Amino acid sequence: MVAKCQVISLCRSLLRAGRKYPDYNIREYTKQRTLDGFRMNGNLTDQSKVNEVYAEGKEQLEVVERVLKVYLAYPPKTKNIMELNVQ
Amino acid sequence: MASPSTSSLSFKAPSIQSTRTSQVLRKPLSFQPISFGRFQSSKNLRLQISCAAKPETVQKVSDIVREQLALSADTALTAESKFSALGADSLDTVEIVMALEEKFNISVEEADAQNITTIQEAADLIEDLAQKKPAA
Repeated sequence: MVAKCQVISLCRSLLRAGRKYPDYNIREYTKQRTLDGFRMNGNLTDQSKVNEVYAEGKEQLEVVERVLKVYLAYPPKTKNIMELNVQ
Repeated sequence: MASPSTSSLSFKAPSIQSTRTSQVLRKPLSFQPISFGRFQSSKNLRLQISCAAKPETVQKVSDIVREQLALSADTALTAESKFSALGADSLDTVEIVMALEEKFNISVEEADAQNITTIQEAADLIEDLAQKKPAA
């Protein structure tokens, strides 16, 4: 039985983990994908479905954290153009 | 026989002094309820000043909220506006808290983040964390 606060804290952990990426593209992607995913499944009423989707989210959190370690080992040498505040 | 008289005498002397001291003591006793009232009101005033966030912090928070919830420039944002009243669901609140964390370079705990419902609360929490950070 997944409570609403657990879902919110999962969302927060995913967003926090996604923020740590040195690569701009992956950072933006994880943020957008988590928000889209949570919004899409936000109106579920069936508790078993909610549990299923919550378990998926947890797996994705593990994936994000694992891949983060790999990316931190090889940070990009130059900044992405989107990150530079070019006027 | 002599001893009770001496004892009575010995009691008399302090009794005189005690009346004098009691007279002196009575005055502050009568003042005490008034001073407590004064202390309480001054404490309340102090609490109000320390809790109120700076207006520029409140303004920055309002800007971020306006951007996240895509509000038009017409909607009035006061410090007491609730996020739910502005049309934000719990996910929007999470987004707003994340954006505030990034903007002010702070880290909000889980428990604190769940209690934020108005702009004023967010600004107060930010001020609180900004003060604690340099101390750490």
